[in-house]
Amino acid sequence: MQRRTWVPVATGIVALVFFALPAEEPLRGFLPDWVSLVLIYWTFALPARMMVGMAWSVGLVVDIVSFGLPGAYALSKAVLVYLARVLALRVRAYPLWQQTIVVLGLLGIEALILSLIDFIVSGDLTGLQRWTAVVVGALAWPVVYWILRRARHLARLGH
Amino acid sequence: MNRTRNSAIRGLSLYVLLSAGLITAHYYSPVVRQIFQFAAVIGVPVHFLASLPSTVLERMQGKLEPTDQLRRNYAALREHNLILQARLHRFEFLESENIRLRRLLSAVPATAEKVTLAALVAVNPDPRGQAVLINKGSADGVFQGQPVVDAGGIVGQVTRPGMFRSTVSLVTRENQGIPVQVARSSLRAVIYGGGRNRPLRVLYLDRNSDIRTGDLLVTSGLAGRYPAGYPVALVTAVERNLSESFMSVAAEPTSHLGSEREVLLLWLSALDQPVASDLLDSEGELVD
Repeated sequence: MQRRTWVPVATGIVALVFFALPAEEPLRGFLPDWVSLVLIYWTFALPARMMVGMAWSVGLVVDIVSFGLPGAYALSKAVLVYLARVLALRVRAYPLWQQTIVVLGLLGIEALILSLIDFIVSGDLTGLQRWTAVVVGALAWPVVYWILRRARHLARLGH
Repeated sequence: MNRTRNSAIRGLSLYVLLSAGLITAHYYSPVVRQIFQFAAVIGVPVHFLASLPSTVLERMQGKLEPTDQLRRNYAALREHNLILQARLHRFEFLESENIRLRRLLSAVPATAEKVTLAALVAVNPDPRGQAVLINKGSADGVFQGQPVVDAGGIVGQVTRPGMFRSTVSLVTRENQGIPVQVARSSLRAVIYGGGRNRPLRVLYLDRNSDIRTGDLLVTSGLAGRYPAGYPVALVTAVERNLSESFMSVAAEPTSHLGSEREVLLLWLSALDQPVASDLLDSEGELVD
């Protein structure tokens, strides 16, 4: 079980590259935060091993890669994984569509935190784009879930 | 269970405080900002991987283009270049004349500009903001607030210079102002970005100011950040409302806002030293 831990790391790196993919202007606001989705998946799957501190460091890397305000994504990802850990054992028993609703809520809370930080730092509330990305992210959850479950089974990381 | 949750909450609050501290430190301390400029190096491989599909696609397009079309393009570009060169000669003449006239008036000397080409890295650095990423950084002498232009006019300014990459805030960024001048009437104003997919706005113009649809707005060079005379926007709509003391003016940026592959970075330096000494000489001659 110990030797396959590179699989979550690899999926995280793939998510980071997807996060940085170029997108033209109309599409840009609709792209979900893949890093959050991958973090949520691994927290639901392995709640005992996903630490809040790990999520914080991942968020800091996202901050640096996105040339954003250092600390903003770190904070939002830490809160995200904390909440996902609290919910993990319950959510695992849910059917996929109920999981999707939980994911929608988690992504919504993350977007709220990021908007709040933006508001405090720059004083302007960004438009609706972030909320469309939240909805698209929740809709993408079944696909992400299916792909990452395959990856987890290949790596034999289990409950 | 309760005890573990309590300790988890304590752990979370530690990280919340850490983030808040980091944000404040980044806001107030230039040293912390410097550290994060260096740290941006870890983003280089990620951005390289992310831009790989689009660069490969572009290379393939170049390979697949038929030869006669390439030849046609080449001929058109050559012709264009010739015309531009002819114009440039006249421009150089005008510039030297301008400098001479300014000396005669003993006016403030014009600014000289150094220019460097920077390529856009085909990634969106921040999905939240109105910004693009370029492949030049503080290692190439890029600094915060540096003006960025392209063939159409002002693109924006450098807001976060990294070591090898920098982010450029576009003129459309919300609440970013540029001092401008109407090219036709030389009326001065300030133009503000309106945010994503929204027109630029010229605020606080008196109701009977001389501005029309189709007017070109160029930089006035007043705040000292942008050089004077670069086109910024075309006025698309002018609305005079009798119940308000200011009119609302909408404009459209003239630059391509980072949809082209390359932009120009400008370095401004006042022609102070040599011109000042020249000025003294000529004045001396005049006095004699």
